[in-house]
Amino acid sequence: MKSLVMCLMVAVLALPQYAFAAIGCTLSNPAEDLKYLYPEMTTYKEDLNEFPRLKNGAELFSALRERLGSDLDPIYETFETPYTVYSVFKGESKIGVVHGVNVPGKGGVIQVFLSMDPQTAAIRRFFFQRLESPAARQLRSKEFLNQFEGLTLGDFYKHDYYITVDPGAKADKVAAITPPSFDPSGRPDYEASLRGIRKNLILIDFFVYGKKFEPYFERAKQAAEKAKARKE
Amino acid sequence: MGAARNWQVIGGKESVVRFEIQKQFLAAAVALVAIGLCAPSISAAPSDEKQRKETAAGSEIDPFADLAELPAPQATPEQASRSWRETLLTENFGFRKEVMSQFDMNERGKTASRQSVGFEALKKFSTATATLASFDFQGRLVRRDGFNPVQNDMEGQGRPGWAFEYHNAYLDLYNVLNPLLSDEQRGDTVGRFNLRAGRFYVPFGLNLQTDTHGTVLQLSNDRNFGFERDWYTGFWGAISPDVNYDVYYLAGSGYDLKFKGQSGLGAIRLSLANKYSYEYGLEGGLSILGGERLSPDAITRRRILAVNIGNENRVETKRVGLDGRYRQAVPTGLLTVTSELSGGRDLSSNLFTQLYQAEYLHASRQWGVSTQYRRFQQEGLGADASIIGEISWYFRNDIGNSNLHWIKLNVERQVEQMQGPHSTIATMQYYFYQ
Repeated sequence: MKSLVMCLMVAVLALPQYAFAAIGCTLSNPAEDLKYLYPEMTTYKEDLNEFPRLKNGAELFSALRERLGSDLDPIYETFETPYTVYSVFKGESKIGVVHGVNVPGKGGVIQVFLSMDPQTAAIRRFFFQRLESPAARQLRSKEFLNQFEGLTLGDFYKHDYYITVDPGAKADKVAAITPPSFDPSGRPDYEASLRGIRKNLILIDFFVYGKKFEPYFERAKQAAEKAKARKE
Repeated sequence: MGAARNWQVIGGKESVVRFEIQKQFLAAAVALVAIGLCAPSISAAPSDEKQRKETAAGSEIDPFADLAELPAPQATPEQASRSWRETLLTENFGFRKEVMSQFDMNERGKTASRQSVGFEALKKFSTATATLASFDFQGRLVRRDGFNPVQNDMEGQGRPGWAFEYHNAYLDLYNVLNPLLSDEQRGDTVGRFNLRAGRFYVPFGLNLQTDTHGTVLQLSNDRNFGFERDWYTGFWGAISPDVNYDVYYLAGSGYDLKFKGQSGLGAIRLSLANKYSYEYGLEGGLSILGGERLSPDAITRRRILAVNIGNENRVETKRVGLDGRYRQAVPTGLLTVTSELSGGRDLSSNLFTQLYQAEYLHASRQWGVSTQYRRFQQEGLGADASIIGEISWYFRNDIGNSNLHWIKLNVERQVEQMQGPHSTIATMQYYFYQ
């Protein structure tokens, strides 16, 4: 009996590592939350996406880092991290996409959720599911959240282009976002939130929109490379 | 740089050259002022003339205009091809492994050990447009040597040596009325009628919202009912955007599903919707439970009460409970206060349960401290009460409880006991869940 139990214990621990999901970010009550976001909905579907299970998953994971422009957190942004995409339907028509990510903030993890237009991939609403921050009230203010409505991942890539080539350009919608007024201690969480939105958009572009905004990324990248070459 | 070089090379013709250079400087200054006035954005751009022109043009011309008509997106990333078995175990399938090592000792030197390896599997089932169901199973292989009544192992006394334990084992069916409804009605009722069947936390108090599977500190259900999970079936969902409900019939048998003449328990819980937790840090609810359950082992009062009815297995049970939890970010971390209060009767004996807990988690989420006071009082039998202090060091502490790794030191001082001496129990726990 003992040896059987020991074998079973070893077997559990020896299961392939890819099977063990790390941290995901899910809606705690999907039906309630999705209904709130899309009052006209009739059903919703959850899809779990994990890099290890995707074809070229490793390549996509390194692409995430490149597009995010910063190192990935070893706890919240691992290769094994699962991502749940919620597709919202009215009858047979897809009327929305909702996705959340975890990003490390100063006061703990920040859970950044976006609801998207399924056709244009534009942000419909941006909200925090969890936000423990000294600037929580300011960051949750409607005035701040509403500024992201209508933005796409393309706008974030354009921002990369403009800050390199034409700082202050009127077409730079991301640069035009006004941060709420908060105590300096809230600054890291503001920056973490922006990073969370960007990460969220990149992942949705990978999982749902087939890397639709890659041409914007490529152009911004080329501009940055040119600028770098000029400096040299 | 060009002007400086001329100055050095030309030497004797200083005055003429200086005049020429002054003219050049003057012209350049005028040009710079003009540019500065007309195109302020250029001031931050590189000094290279060609680039300035490009940049100035960039302010007016959309450099992404040619991308307005975006190319058709590439196909979404392909999933690696796999068999039906692989599909079953990979698509919308979560699997976590768990390792727990726990040692405890009381002030009289009595030691106990619990070592375990476990797992949790969660599978969701979907159609093209809807997630229909999910199944969760959580179990452990455990080795126990000795026993002390540590909060998170009250059942351990009856399981010395090796044991396989199941914990969660339930199926959720979502929006079960959908097949009977029109699209419009489905929209109106989404999230309202979900069915649960299986073994999970007793729907009383904060346990439904709180996974205490790995923690040493527990909520009050185990002491209140003799078990913190039971077998049950019933509905759950949202009544309104503000209120959630749970309505179940419980077997009232605790660990094993048994029917030995007990009528079972009916339970209703109304709780605040999740938005209160996210937006205000507030959770809470009102619970009502009543019926007949099988009395668990190792609870002193059972023998006394059983004498009253002549049947040692069944206990008529009534409870009403009120609970709340408030989470507040403080400058260096997170403060959480929790309370569960409940009153009711077991047979003809009134009882009252209290639990108060305060937790502080440092902003790094690497360490935290907690304290709890719990008291269970029963008419005619006295009370069991404890004060507990705990310090935790986290290697990983995911907010979603899906990636946990810690060491905890927990010290419980029993300040009142219905029977036996008051003990102090120190517990050291290592826990890994990923």
